[in-house]
Amino acid sequence: MRKSAILLTTLILAGSLLLSACSSGGGNNTAAGSESSNVAANTSAENSAVTDDQPIAASDMSKLPALAQKRTDTIIVGLKNPSGAFTPYFHQSGYDGNVSSLLYSRLVTQDEQGLPVPELAESWDVSDDQLTYTFHLRKDLKFSDGSPMTAEDVAFTWTLLYDKAYDGDSIITAIGIKGGQDYKEGKATSIEGIQVSDPLTVSVTLEKPIATAPITLGGEVLSKAYYGKDYKFGDLEYIRKLHENPVGNGPYKLEKFIPGQEVRFVANEYFYLGKPKTEHFIYKTSEGDTWQYLETGEVDYGSFTATEDNLKKLKNMGYLNIVPYTPSVYGYLGVNLQHETYADKKVRQAITYGLDRQSIYVEANQGAGQVANIPTAPISWSYTEEGINPYEYDPEKAKQLLEEAGWTVGSDGIREKDGKKLTLHFLGSKSPSTDIFIALATEGFKEIGVDFQPEVFADFNALVDKYESGDYDLVSFSTPILSDPSDGVQQFINGEVKGYDNPKVKELYFDALSTSDTEQRKKYYAEMYKILNDELPIIFTSYRKSYYAYNGRLDGVVNNPFAGFQDVNNWSLK
Amino acid sequence: MSTYLVKRLTYMIIILFAASLLIFCLYAFTPGDFISGNLKLSPERKEELRQIYGLNKPVLERYAIWMKNAFHGNFGYSLAQQKPVLQLFNEYIWNSFLLAIVSTFFTWLISVIIGVIAAYKQYSLFDSLIMVIIFAAMSIPSFFIGLLLIKGFAVDLKWLPPGGMTTTGSNATGLAYVKEVIQHMALPVMVMTLLSLGSLTRYFRSNMIDVIKQDYIRTARAKGLKERKVLFTHALRNALLPAITLVGFELPGLFGGSLIIEKIFNWPGIGQLYMSSFSSRDYPLLMGFTMFIAILTVIGTLLSDLLYKLADPRVKL
Repeated sequence: MRKSAILLTTLILAGSLLLSACSSGGGNNTAAGSESSNVAANTSAENSAVTDDQPIAASDMSKLPALAQKRTDTIIVGLKNPSGAFTPYFHQSGYDGNVSSLLYSRLVTQDEQGLPVPELAESWDVSDDQLTYTFHLRKDLKFSDGSPMTAEDVAFTWTLLYDKAYDGDSIITAIGIKGGQDYKEGKATSIEGIQVSDPLTVSVTLEKPIATAPITLGGEVLSKAYYGKDYKFGDLEYIRKLHENPVGNGPYKLEKFIPGQEVRFVANEYFYLGKPKTEHFIYKTSEGDTWQYLETGEVDYGSFTATEDNLKKLKNMGYLNIVPYTPSVYGYLGVNLQHETYADKKVRQAITYGLDRQSIYVEANQGAGQVANIPTAPISWSYTEEGINPYEYDPEKAKQLLEEAGWTVGSDGIREKDGKKLTLHFLGSKSPSTDIFIALATEGFKEIGVDFQPEVFADFNALVDKYESGDYDLVSFSTPILSDPSDGVQQFINGEVKGYDNPKVKELYFDALSTSDTEQRKKYYAEMYKILNDELPIIFTSYRKSYYAYNGRLDGVVNNPFAGFQDVNNWSLK
Repeated sequence: MSTYLVKRLTYMIIILFAASLLIFCLYAFTPGDFISGNLKLSPERKEELRQIYGLNKPVLERYAIWMKNAFHGNFGYSLAQQKPVLQLFNEYIWNSFLLAIVSTFFTWLISVIIGVIAAYKQYSLFDSLIMVIIFAAMSIPSFFIGLLLIKGFAVDLKWLPPGGMTTTGSNATGLAYVKEVIQHMALPVMVMTLLSLGSLTRYFRSNMIDVIKQDYIRTARAKGLKERKVLFTHALRNALLPAITLVGFELPGLFGGSLIIEKIFNWPGIGQLYMSSFSSRDYPLLMGFTMFIAILTVIGTLLSDLLYKLADPRVKL
């Protein structure tokens, strides 16, 4: 009896130990993958039908949890982890950016196609030489402390970003305001190109024409009286103390920040469009999944990858409005053009033909993606499919191109040229989608005779480091949010894509920036996209698709891929 | 005793120095730095920022600067969080500590009780059953148990909140606040206790079995003492003795935070902050936190030794 009990115990022990060993590996995965919600590795082709791009209205409001019903003057949105640095231009985490976009309004914002539209600035005009931009502010603008906002504040904000101690990632300095460099180097006490002509008018003169200036310059405005009180050139330490006590001009004011838990806002009575309809707004820190909070009614809004499973789950809750959403980014594979093999356009094209992008990015992702062929998002005003080669999966075409480029099949099935094997060293960061990519790409590349050697990195910074060392052939990246089409093609101009130098692309790039006529710009970009689509200095892969879902009793919710939450002052609870 | 202490303290300082150098180098040589992950920046701007942060200096020089500042009580300014490192500790560590201290208390309490009974009734049905249950609980991954409990207690039954430390938007103070925190703590504490119960119970059980076999227990029984008294006064006290050394080792764990638990239950603790600072290469925060844990570990070891001496006068230091 005793013996058998011990035997049983040992057996169960062994079993459970095995179980724990298996699952501890999976534990990491879940932690890292929770952000992208539910990217199941389902490769069956039937699951590809999330094509319905229409919003879905809540079907059954009676399912609304009591917790949400009780809340009548507060909107709660989940946000990963804001750190408390709420001064625009000075935060390092995008989550702080989400917070500050409620606290501060911009001079110029963007519509749903990415075109500039007025916010705090009533209008702006450009001089004939496209060098001087003049912004006209609305009348009677006020900061949240009741003090008036004038052109001086705008000038102060721009000047501050030219300080040599400024360590944020604003790109204002990159557009080159005249005299800015002198200020940065301490040779001038003010920036020559910034002129305040009256309290409502401020103008900027640039060194060269840049059509994105209204968006880049039209950012948030800092109060000179508050943020500039202790300002001395070269010393920005003092501003750190103000991060948690923002004075803004957005729809909401900061009420309380509880680190790791929530950011509470209260309506700003001085907001230029009048006090927002809902008195309170809360960003709830939710490091992991927001599913459970949406289900218990603790948050009103969540954003999810557009997989079929997620859609089904969201629909089943019944009380959610579901809206499809495409962020303004594109995914791509960087190609090492400095390796002789891949400097050949035909080889790059062959690789693209040999990669079943539809299966990898759309079907295996349960429809939460779309194949990309040009460097701009499908929601952008510059997007076009005219004259663009879709590079549909075609291994025969790939083989033919490789033959043309002189790569012939060797004895082991791998292609060779001058005694060198055709290998493809790939870098990717650890994620379920990288796993899918590697599985399907290995198969596809084998078929066309390419030796595929994937290397996976546990974290992104390590991947970037390897990429910068140049020891790779192919590397998987996604762009940051692109607010203007020029952001998407910049990497072909500024030397980031090493070894690519096409004077025609450069010319088109600068042409497109030197005019503010959108129709004209569209033409330049269409032409540029055609060249890039043909030459493939990088291999375009995919666009992401997601849903945002919000409580059906919320009214007026809009999430604009370019400007974030839109018209928050009009969001209301029924 | 005092010479022993002086000697130990000297060792401690040397160990901490060596550890700090090692840790600093480890972090500095991990590929990628704070700047490299930001794809928005142009190569020139990256260089400029590395200059501002001093990341382009040689590693040893950076270490010397860090050390000098640390001696002046300045543990630096978190790059990613844009706050002084010490302020961040203060904001997050106590939340982690609260979870850890409560679950440690329950772990010890429950494992002593189970351990004693299991040892007393060695090889009984109770003993086998409890061991199986405990090992099963220990072997199930924490994220799985955590999600299961959230699904059961929070989403389906709605008895307990699914996560966080307080109800969102709540303005509760005083007792109402305490009640709220206790409600939010219940699930994470349950998971943490379940997970750490196993090893400690086994420890107490085997200690107890050893002690029960001792002559003095037989003597106690022979002189007619009640079984309860034999067990809890004579046996348990001696069985607990070796466990005192464990108390010191728990010290770093109390402040270290728990990455997975904090993540699943959205607990505003230091564990997840540390993890995110690693992936962003936020050196000041990484360095500060790791050194803090190193100091606690060294102190904890010293504490264990001293406690053991206190509990067992036969031990000579």
